[in-house]
Amino acid sequence: MSVYDFTVKTKNGADKSLADYKGKVLLIVNTASKCGFTPQFEELQTLYKTYKDKGFEILGFPCNQFAGQEPGTNDEVQQFCKFNYGVTFTIFAKGDVRGETAQPLFKYLTEQKKFEGFDMNHPVAAKLLDALKKNFPEYLEGDGIKWNFTKFLIDRDGNVVARFEPTTTPASIAKDIENLL
Amino acid sequence: MVKVYSFEGCPWCEKVKKFLQARGMEYETCDIEESEEARAECERISGDLAVPVTTIDGKNYVVGFDKRKLEELLTSA
Repeated sequence: MSVYDFTVKTKNGADKSLADYKGKVLLIVNTASKCGFTPQFEELQTLYKTYKDKGFEILGFPCNQFAGQEPGTNDEVQQFCKFNYGVTFTIFAKGDVRGETAQPLFKYLTEQKKFEGFDMNHPVAAKLLDALKKNFPEYLEGDGIKWNFTKFLIDRDGNVVARFEPTTTPASIAKDIENLL
Repeated sequence: MVKVYSFEGCPWCEKVKKFLQARGMEYETCDIEESEEARAECERISGDLAVPVTTIDGKNYVVGFDKRKLEELLTSA
């Protein structure tokens, strides 16, 4: 079993087998609906531009399960959404990534790589953890996706080699990608 | 007329609209995802593609849902 056994839906509703990505290094990400942790969109785009010619792809899966639920209080969090115009990596159809309704791919990914905690050095980590504890304590249980921009790194053979939480910036995983390319 | 540059699925845009509704203010929604024209206008006004952008005259504007700044913008008009 590998990620190549999964089929996902494109933005236009067509089936796409992940086996089409055989031999490539993949970063599978549940993206926000353009809000919250948005700087990650820009950093992901930078990673994509840097490594795409070496066989690297980013697969983005937008999910509404965390939409409109910004961590932190009104004063602390930037209260706007950045329009992610200019993102050229692949964005698939909107779908669930956690709980019973999660897409099978995400069930598989979270079974392969467990939740090992947030990087509390990230500036938003403490707020995110507080917001989850307060509003969605059930999200913190188990290995399911905790928030937007959880990233899974897949090697050229389809193995899930690493999981990075929303509190790990895309820029900081460049080395991990390079090691697989 | 108050203009709110926004796109669907942006919670802060909804908050600005509710804020305006609560004050009985009429406003025009300019969706920067749907309309390239609105997107260009938004970028010209604020120099960025972050929404909501609320403006009356296209010169003074407020980015984001900032109640205090919105009050200022509306009372200065």
